[in-house]
Amino acid sequence: MNAAGTPRRARAGLPGLLVLIALAAGLATLVMVAVSGHPPASQAQQVQQIAAGLHCPICKDLSVADSPAPLAQQMRQEIAQKLRAGESADQIRAGFVAAYGDSVLMSPPRQGVAGAVYYLPVLILAAGLITAFTLLRRWLRAPRPDPPGAGPPRLSAAQRRAVAKAVARLGEEEPG
Amino acid sequence: MTSRRTRLLAGVVAVVAAIVALLMTGLGHDPSVFASPLVGRTAPAFTLPQLDGPPVTLAKLRGQVVVINFWASWCTECQVEQAALDQTWQQFQDSGVVVIGVNFQDTSDAARNYVRTDGVTYPVVEDAGSKTALAYGLRGVPETFVVNRSGRIVKHVIGPVDAAALASEINPILGMRAQ
Repeated sequence: MNAAGTPRRARAGLPGLLVLIALAAGLATLVMVAVSGHPPASQAQQVQQIAAGLHCPICKDLSVADSPAPLAQQMRQEIAQKLRAGESADQIRAGFVAAYGDSVLMSPPRQGVAGAVYYLPVLILAAGLITAFTLLRRWLRAPRPDPPGAGPPRLSAAQRRAVAKAVARLGEEEPG
Repeated sequence: MTSRRTRLLAGVVAVVAAIVALLMTGLGHDPSVFASPLVGRTAPAFTLPQLDGPPVTLAKLRGQVVVINFWASWCTECQVEQAALDQTWQQFQDSGVVVIGVNFQDTSDAARNYVRTDGVTYPVVEDAGSKTALAYGLRGVPETFVVNRSGRIVKHVIGPVDAAALASEINPILGMRAQ
């Protein structure tokens, strides 16, 4: 029993061990990725990212990153200079917004009147769902008339007892 | 039942009216006309080299009314307003008004040639790299900003200015004390 059991237990443990090793390796990879994060973006990539979020002021539907216009080129140079001077992406964007207004942003801010663009459809959908749910519940709870040809109405147990009593009383009252 | 129907109808009418009002407001707005967010704010500072003369620093002009005109030699609309700017400079320079031409996306030679041939009499500075133009939210030329004595932008004009309109902006400021 013992001699035969040990190798079987060892064979049974091997796949489990392999699974454990695989899990540990996967976990270690995840931890390494989480700790190291993305490699830091180069300055050119940072300029590209910021410029992609800014609307070229003299173009139609082109970002500063995509526009070949001289003004857009100068805006990209300005972004690069500001990054070298130590400004953050938010500070750089705020600088352009201060000069050009919110219209310089490719995505309107989620506040004020522009915020309605984001929140109004969700609110309308929610109101529609609530209305539909309320109407459906009311409809399901409403008493429905019996369909034609459905026969006499069903009596409750108490009603049936009352009818039986009345019939019995009638029988007792009959002469003879 | 009737009152419920009336309420429902009133609700629908209110929603439709709100949507129509929203559309009318949006459609009534010309998307190509931009109101500068700088109006009412302190004018962005600059020190720029003059074409022929010492650098001009905006901060040093505090206490005077400053008309900042962005222009270029290749801009035909700038030629249209040239006489008006010169007239404003000639009319108000002794009353504490400075007109500054900021050359935009141009070459020094072309700008100098324009100044000479068109008889520009007010100071003209160069904005290499358009740093100042970007700080003023420039979208093209010509664009003009009127800065009051306390350094605040009080008017932004897109396109050619005329002398009478500029005077109507400047005269009230000259009649006021610095804030």
